[in-house]
Amino acid sequence: MLRLEHVQKRFKDKVVIQDLSLEVHDGELLVLIGPSGCGKTTTLKMMNRLLPLSGGHIYVDGEDIAALDPVKLRRNMGYVIQQGGLFPHMTVRQNIEIIEKLEKRPKDEMTARTRELMAMIGLDPEEYLDRYPAELSGGQQQRVGVARALATDPEYVLFDEPFSALDPPTRMALQDEVVSLHEKLNKTMIFVTHDMDEAIKIADRICLMKDGEIVQLDTSENILRHPANDFVSDFVGSGRIWSAPEFIRAQDIMIDHPVKCRGDLTVEGCIIRIQTYRVSSLMVVDKAGRLIGVVDKSVFSKRPRPDAQADAVMRPVRFSVHPEDQLIDMVKAIPAEDVGRINDIPVVDGDNRLVGLVTNNNIVSKFIRPWLADAEAEEGDGR
Amino acid sequence: MIKLWFYMVHHGAEIWKLTVEHIEMTAIAVGIAILIGVPLGILISYVKKLDKPIIGAANVVQAIPSMALLGLMIPLLGIGQKPAIVMVIIYSLLPIIKNTYIGIADIDPQTIESARGIGMSRGQILRKVQLPLALPVIMAGVRISAVTAVGLMTMGAFIGASGLGYMIFSGIRTVNNYQILAGAIPACILALVVDWLMGLVEKLVTPISLQKDFGTDRKVLRRKRKHQKIILITAACLIGTAIVGSAVSSRAASKGQIVIGSKDYTEQLVLCHIYSDYIEAHTNLKCVPKENLGGTQVCYEALKSGKIDMYVDYTGTLYGDILKKSGETDMDRVYQICKKNLKPQGITLMHQCAFNNTYTLSVLPETAQKYNLHTIGDVAAKSGQLRLGTTLEFLNRNDCLKALERQYPGIHFAKQSGIDSSPRYTAIQNHEIDVTDAFATDGMLKKYHLTVMKDTDHVFPPYYAVPCVKTTTLQKYPELKKAINALAPHLTEKRMRQMNYEVDVKGRDPAEVARDFLNREGLLK
Repeated sequence: MLRLEHVQKRFKDKVVIQDLSLEVHDGELLVLIGPSGCGKTTTLKMMNRLLPLSGGHIYVDGEDIAALDPVKLRRNMGYVIQQGGLFPHMTVRQNIEIIEKLEKRPKDEMTARTRELMAMIGLDPEEYLDRYPAELSGGQQQRVGVARALATDPEYVLFDEPFSALDPPTRMALQDEVVSLHEKLNKTMIFVTHDMDEAIKIADRICLMKDGEIVQLDTSENILRHPANDFVSDFVGSGRIWSAPEFIRAQDIMIDHPVKCRGDLTVEGCIIRIQTYRVSSLMVVDKAGRLIGVVDKSVFSKRPRPDAQADAVMRPVRFSVHPEDQLIDMVKAIPAEDVGRINDIPVVDGDNRLVGLVTNNNIVSKFIRPWLADAEAEEGDGR
Repeated sequence: MIKLWFYMVHHGAEIWKLTVEHIEMTAIAVGIAILIGVPLGILISYVKKLDKPIIGAANVVQAIPSMALLGLMIPLLGIGQKPAIVMVIIYSLLPIIKNTYIGIADIDPQTIESARGIGMSRGQILRKVQLPLALPVIMAGVRISAVTAVGLMTMGAFIGASGLGYMIFSGIRTVNNYQILAGAIPACILALVVDWLMGLVEKLVTPISLQKDFGTDRKVLRRKRKHQKIILITAACLIGTAIVGSAVSSRAASKGQIVIGSKDYTEQLVLCHIYSDYIEAHTNLKCVPKENLGGTQVCYEALKSGKIDMYVDYTGTLYGDILKKSGETDMDRVYQICKKNLKPQGITLMHQCAFNNTYTLSVLPETAQKYNLHTIGDVAAKSGQLRLGTTLEFLNRNDCLKALERQYPGIHFAKQSGIDSSPRYTAIQNHEIDVTDAFATDGMLKKYHLTVMKDTDHVFPPYYAVPCVKTTTLQKYPELKKAINALAPHLTEKRMRQMNYEVDVKGRDPAEVARDFLNREGLLK
């Protein structure tokens, strides 16, 4: 376990980190994120003693790192930087094996390990081991950098904005790679980035920093859903949640007050209500607010008696969702024969009480409105 | 061209020996410069505060004229190879320090940080990352140093360090262009070869991935590197054997040897060889001629400090220049004063030779006719219309120009300039100067048909040649005394002038001329 206690960092008189405490759980992938100058990289570099602390303590597995030999500490903490920080005069093999060689490990053990690592990062050993970094693409260099960091099988791996210089497709592929490595290897990983999409994609927890302080430390979803303050929501961006569909739930996109009626409303009354609110259907609820059926506009083409009651003309609820249901699951759950036919999905709570309605219209407008807002804000800035 | 070829073939063995010496000295100097410069460069790349003082100091040293540096070195290190090597080391340091510093400083800081980050120690980073990456730049500095050093080392001959500069300097002194070229051409070739070899080293130490032609077929590159390695190893072996060989031969010769110095002009060279050959013929001692040490002061200091065992000086020079005395012009009294005053310095004066190589002034015959010049007094009277061009020694010495000024208070030349000893004959021939100093036995007087002014007023003190020997050497090898003194009566003015003429005008080798003289006079029996 990695624990930071009241860590402070000053560069000369400038205080970069005032008082930072943080606990990294074993086996988690924690992302440090924030605007430039927030102290995220500084925090990371203090963990492996690339930078000395001005105050406070950092404990690795209960030991204060100030008391540890920095070289030993770092060999238990893989370190990956932009472009992998590979040594240009060494081949891929030499780069990966450098620390093992310094530790004088047996050659065959080293060779086996290197092959294993190459397989892990998805590079063909025959083709790549004898190449020099200059002969690799940016993404390949980065993979080798990751392999080198893993060579000594460290408990921790630190990533310092490793992918920021890569083109988007390569970056995304590498993010997937990190996620799968993390799942496979069960190592504690700490990842610094300034890219919120990247953070959401890979993080178990996100630590959002500003001016040397932690603003919010929580799971990706909670940061998206429950920003602690305006800074967080601004940093995350109002439309951000749409880039992570797995976090979108029914309650995020539903209309809170669907147009509804009781079972005893007359057909005439229903027609008036539908026309007034310009909706395509009415939700029929009982006294307790429980959903009992739906009156579709189409039902009036069958010319029911005007004094007939809604509960006589309504159809049963074919499909409803829970407010916590994810959008993706909702889409998946729609019966195949109903896809395209369903315009409105009622949202009901555990007691079948109607709490909202998801309509095609409001999904589209929810998608678009944040972008519109951003665009307007930008235009406003332009002026 | 053909004459030059003959000269070089004829002196092949000597040129080869000097070349080997030259390589040896250069290699030692550059080697030591690397051993000092690279750690200094590394140091200042770590301790940033030191970079300005150290590079600044190296810059300043670089700016000192090499001649001055050599001169300053004599009191500290004496003469010979040591001061020359030290001088070259000092000049070689700057490019090596600078390039080491730049080479290390220019490495991408990201690379260093990632090296630290993955758990390499400082020493490991230096050995595995910084030095390999900086090596091409460091080697470029070494290459510059080495090529400069080859040229600079020729200056060493000025203080008796031998090497190819010896050929060049003796050539200049004796106006022997073939000899100059016989030194200059090998030095030039040597510099080119060194540049080429160092270029290969530079390429070899460049990591394969950072080579310019990286990207061409890996196999071709590997084969090329293999060839380069073979060439370098061969060159290293050749240099190694040459150095070891010469070291062995020089060690073998170090027992019972007398080092005979000489100043840097023909007569001195000839005398040096005459004494050397004569002593070797009449004693069991081995003589090592150390020619072209430079002026009087260099030789005198060298003798005093024991770097040489003997050299031949002139009574007037000792009297006026070394002892800083003036006024006396009687031959024997001057000799006795010198002998008495030099004894406490550990120097014993042997018998005076039979020739007086005093200073004199000479002019072209047409100038003599034009101004009706016969004596030094006549020159003094017409000095306002005459341009004087003499050696620097003549201008500065108490018993030369200053003696003239004392004797003839009205003397004032239209122009006064200092020229090196041989070029002043060319200058007078080209009418760039009208009057020059000369030695009475100077062969050039004969060659250029100069008219010698008579010293009717005894302005210049007597300049009888006199061997000066280290007293301790005489005590160690008493047989020297007899041998040296036995030569004195044979060295007359006429014979000396003839020998100087042979060398200066006919372009013969001083050693040869000396040997011919000894043979002709039957002195080697």
